[in-house]
Amino acid sequence: MLKPRIKVSNLHEIGLLLALIIVLVIFSLTTENFFTQRNFLSILRSASYVGLIAFPMTFVLITREIDISVGPAVAWSGVFFAMLIKWYEFSYLNAAIIVLLWGLFTGYFIGIARTKLFIPTFITTLALWSALRGYSLFVTDGRPIALSNKPFRELYGGDFLNMPTVTWMMLLMFIFFWFCSRYTVMGTNIYAVGGNPKAARSIGINVDRIKIITLMITSFFSALVGILYVARVSSGNATTGEGMEFDVIAAVVVGGTALGGAVGTMTGTLMGVLFIAMISNGLIHWGVDPDLNKVVKGLIIFLAVVINSNITFKNNSGPKED
Amino acid sequence: MPILKLENISKSFGAINALNDVSLSINPGEVLGLMGDNGAGKSTLIKIIAGNFKPTSGKLIFNEQAVEFAKPMDARNKGIEVVYQDLALCDNLTAASNIFLTREIKKNFGFFSIINFNKMYERSREIFRDLKSETLPEEQVKMMSGGQRQAVAIGRTKLSKAKVVLLDEPTAAISVRQVAEVLDLIKQLKNEGIAVVIISHRMPDVFAVSDKIAVLRRGQMVANKLAKDSSPEEVTALITGAIDTA
Repeated sequence: MLKPRIKVSNLHEIGLLLALIIVLVIFSLTTENFFTQRNFLSILRSASYVGLIAFPMTFVLITREIDISVGPAVAWSGVFFAMLIKWYEFSYLNAAIIVLLWGLFTGYFIGIARTKLFIPTFITTLALWSALRGYSLFVTDGRPIALSNKPFRELYGGDFLNMPTVTWMMLLMFIFFWFCSRYTVMGTNIYAVGGNPKAARSIGINVDRIKIITLMITSFFSALVGILYVARVSSGNATTGEGMEFDVIAAVVVGGTALGGAVGTMTGTLMGVLFIAMISNGLIHWGVDPDLNKVVKGLIIFLAVVINSNITFKNNSGPKED
Repeated sequence: MPILKLENISKSFGAINALNDVSLSINPGEVLGLMGDNGAGKSTLIKIIAGNFKPTSGKLIFNEQAVEFAKPMDARNKGIEVVYQDLALCDNLTAASNIFLTREIKKNFGFFSIINFNKMYERSREIFRDLKSETLPEEQVKMMSGGQRQAVAIGRTKLSKAKVVLLDEPTAAISVRQVAEVLDLIKQLKNEGIAVVIISHRMPDVFAVSDKIAVLRRGQMVANKLAKDSSPEEVTALITGAIDTA
């Protein structure tokens, strides 16, 4: 009775895997230093910062919301963290706890604005995008707040068992989010909210609560990445994470998540993250100007959405009343 | 012995009398066709039975006991389920996930629990087998026909062992072929001893499955009789007011 069927999501993931391999082969054959362990670790490192935020962002997009304040949120979290330690003499642990709580609070604020005041998350996070960057630059005067704690730098900004610590964290979080999305009631509810919010509400799912939680988790991870960047460069910088919201959202969308919600997988997002990181890295090896690099990334996200929406459209044109 | 009885139900919203002294009863394994034009009070009546509204006056008797529903959950807990016209399905989930939404079967591992998909598929397969529907539990709802979607929505009511099922326009907006499928589902519910109320504009569908016909016009019950003693022509006349009562 069970018809074997290639699902839409699988089709997209298979395509993306092929694209990853093709890009890998092309860069490996055309440059000298791309196919090296050192370079791969470097790609993994940059992919990991993006990935840590991209996984919760996948949930946010599935529930038909968005958070575009990622870059400035990362910058402010780093500045805030460094500030608490350097200027107000907090311990590293206490400063981290405060910054992470701040992250949760920001997400809660975005969620409450969305669910109680009916302000689209795009607008609230656009406002935060401007405000957080501006305030970070204002309090630091544009200068880095330097920290000099070697163990902190080496553990969280460096390697652990021959792999960047942040990559370990990213992989761990991938497993966590993948598991949540597939096997938990929370995951099912997130998809239900994205699939049909009205139905989800009428059947007894607390739609507002689900949206607030996904937004809180995303902001939490933005704050965490802010701290991890401080560990990497030993200072809090108001200019960190410039354009990071683009990389995160691009990775999620390239990974097959629909901006309109309902559709998306964590494996897709992981591949999207690796894809974007690999392209950025490969183009540098090709000697492409960093500014043009952005142009290429823009083209890629556009093409990915064109391909994605066409696959989705063709597979969705089955029987459907509306 | 009626499973559900409405005695002299009236409902007014401010100065507007949506329902005026309406009485009806339905037995287990009986299908009642509730008919009437737009604004005749059908939705209000359904919402009173489903616990969305409290009647202004009158009594609801369920299983020989007077009941009052403060919210839809109270009605559901008693065994009264409503399948709304839009079916309230999530297209991006499988049939089984839709049936079990908010009532998932879980495996517990102390401090966390995971969804037991195998059990849910198994139970859904039984439900679809009972409904004689060829719906697959593992399939996403967006790939399904109108009849299969209806089966998923009705499947939800089977999960809670409903005694009364209210169907709001079950055959609107689906193809003729699928209508037959839905009517079969209704007969299946009836055979299992469930009392079914269908609200519909489609005369042939109502007459195909109903034992009793009730007609509302401007909040008044103008007919409540056995389907075999009535006819589509008579019901049309009752709905429009060409005949006063029957």
